[in-house]
Amino acid sequence: MASLRDIRKRIRSVKNTRQITKAMKMVSAAKLRKAQDAILAARPYAQTLDQIISDLAARAADEGLAHPLLTPRPVRRVELVVLTSDRGLAGGFNSNITRRANRFLYENTALEKIQISTVGRKGNDFFRTRGLTIRKDFGGLYQRLSYRAAADVAEELVASYVNGEVDQVIVVFNEFISAINQKVTMMQLLPLQTFGPQVPAEAQGPALVDFKYEPDRQAVLDRLVPQAVNIKLYRALLESVASEHGARMSAMENATSNATDMINSYTLVYNRTRQAVITKELMEIVSGAEALK
Amino acid sequence: MAKLTVEIVTPEKRILSVQADEAIVPGGRGLFGVRPGHTPFLSLMEPGPLTLIEAGRQDTYFVAGGFVEVGNDKVLVLADGAEQVAGIDVESARQRMADAQKRLSALSADDARFEVEQATVRREAARINVAGMR
Repeated sequence: MASLRDIRKRIRSVKNTRQITKAMKMVSAAKLRKAQDAILAARPYAQTLDQIISDLAARAADEGLAHPLLTPRPVRRVELVVLTSDRGLAGGFNSNITRRANRFLYENTALEKIQISTVGRKGNDFFRTRGLTIRKDFGGLYQRLSYRAAADVAEELVASYVNGEVDQVIVVFNEFISAINQKVTMMQLLPLQTFGPQVPAEAQGPALVDFKYEPDRQAVLDRLVPQAVNIKLYRALLESVASEHGARMSAMENATSNATDMINSYTLVYNRTRQAVITKELMEIVSGAEALK
Repeated sequence: MAKLTVEIVTPEKRILSVQADEAIVPGGRGLFGVRPGHTPFLSLMEPGPLTLIEAGRQDTYFVAGGFVEVGNDKVLVLADGAEQVAGIDVESARQRMADAQKRLSALSADDARFEVEQATVRREAARINVAGMR
């Protein structure tokens, strides 16, 4: 049986751990709020852009408008962009992503080539230790996450799509559903599919205002489409960051309550042991006194 | 008289949403004015000054290019970046422009970065210019 001192030591150590997980939970909660605000702040721009592109695309077919980033081609080479976090202790946050990415690799062996690029240290570590080549690691993106930083990454991906290096770009990331719920999502970034399900023109109603475009529709489309790609990636990054903090918050919440359970059961053992010791000592005294009679 | 609703949004946040009598926007083909009742249209926007006129008072912003959508007495400015004229830091804009020019002189005209740097120079020049209007 463990000595009283040992148990006391264990209790103290678990208490310290609980202190840490509690603090981490609170930090994550604060960061989560900030990340959620960032998602909300990015929404008006993204929605408007989406709507403009849909308006344009609704007419694109009749007027022979086209854009290379909108035109799918036979998929032979795919780039998989894996968004993970830089830090761990976030429950299944990173392993869900890497597992999904890994499954994608196994399911699509028919493809000529799948390139991997990573954002976040955890994903990078995962593929490196498995001896897979990582085309590019966009490290340190989270420390300076801004629209501009996301756009730089997106522009690089666009460049390799345009020069034919890859035929499709897919982003794997945690979509933010709520603070305790994240969903692993595979999002096709390129070619761009902003238009969603094609709505028949009559069902769209008054949304289709007959705009004039300046200088002309093609020029507007040429500028809009790359912008939409940037925004899409930027939003995925924001979602991933919010998910990370949400996942860490609930992981630390669980860790804190587990630590509390552990402390309780150790305290029970401690008290039992203490009483056993007292009983034993009493018995020794009593039997010693008995013997003297 | 009807008013315009002007909204400036950037990818990172909504900068402002106000009522105005008139908006003067740096379009792809030069400045153009919008008043209530303007025909719906969509234009590219160059880096430059965006002026709002409300009850005779002018309010100028710097926008770093993007798009502008006009329709239904609503001016929706999708800017890559936007700031109030008073907030422009001319010194750091000069610095960024000089840096970009330096990088530009080392690049050949068909380099992929060439256009990016050129856009930076144009943008910062416009920013400095707008700052001079205050």
